[in-house]
Amino acid sequence: MSVESATTLPFSAPMTDDGSRSSERDFVVAAQRGDERAFGELVRRHQRRAYAVARAIVLTHEDAEDAVQEGFLHAFRALDRFRSDQPFGAWLNRIIANAALDLVRRRKVRDADELPDSLALPFRDPGESDELRRRLQSALAGLPDRQRAVIVLHDVEGFTHGEIGAMLGIPEGTARSDLHHARAALRRMLKDVRSN
Amino acid sequence: MRDYLKLHGNSDDADPEVTGALRREYAPPSDESYWGALEARIVSRLADAYRIGWWDELDRWMRPALAAAAVVLLASGIALFRQYQAEQQTAYEAMLTPAPSALPVETAVRPVLQESRETTFRYLMTP
Repeated sequence: MSVESATTLPFSAPMTDDGSRSSERDFVVAAQRGDERAFGELVRRHQRRAYAVARAIVLTHEDAEDAVQEGFLHAFRALDRFRSDQPFGAWLNRIIANAALDLVRRRKVRDADELPDSLALPFRDPGESDELRRRLQSALAGLPDRQRAVIVLHDVEGFTHGEIGAMLGIPEGTARSDLHHARAALRRMLKDVRSN
Repeated sequence: MRDYLKLHGNSDDADPEVTGALRREYAPPSDESYWGALEARIVSRLADAYRIGWWDELDRWMRPALAAAAVVLLASGIALFRQYQAEQQTAYEAMLTPAPSALPVETAVRPVLQESRETTFRYLMTP
């Protein structure tokens, strides 16, 4: 069964002749031909990772959502430039990261005079609003943007220094150094509220 | 990825307590309906992705237009320079070449009006 024949199943992966799920490459090829459903499947597969990348770079959940949407639309427009010999996820993550960085730049221009006291972090557990959390938010807001992105991408999302460097457009060594400085800064700012 | 975190995430100078707090803060929405809605929003905007506004069209023609303008400007500059050079050359050659048909100059002696001058003198001297 071809990719096009799977259009009766919204947002589901098309099936190949032998009944196995089509590879991501099939979806990419179909999306490159303009198949929006195939691209929808790529969105479904990658949106969580894309959100994590964007969320590490921007300050709020809402901005992360915007960056994810913009990033996917950029990716859709740029699909003809995607080379199939590279991993789609890595290519997409770079686009999402660029969309998030653009958003951060725009926000900086707009809110040049308004620095937030703390980060707006939704989806928090109400029972977990302890001192460490409050101080962590404040400390994160005080970190330089790039250091904050690097520590979240590495320590929360588990990206390697090389992957982070590629996403943020910085050398791997800079990512490594940013991680070290960010960790040291957070440790210093949180030392009096930590349990030990 | 989590395996990677187990191996490297808390290595070297990472603080497990801070890392844990970070992971809680940056935990993605766990509600499946949230992801379904986000996906639907993105897909619904795909049709707009190819819609080209007049500014996009203008932007698309900007580079070729600038290149064409540069070529026209360069060609005009070369043409003007060549014309100027030709005019200079012509003027230089005209200055160095003697005039082929120089006419002889005729001279004539002006007659002295002696009679009239003496009449005036006599008039003045007459008391």
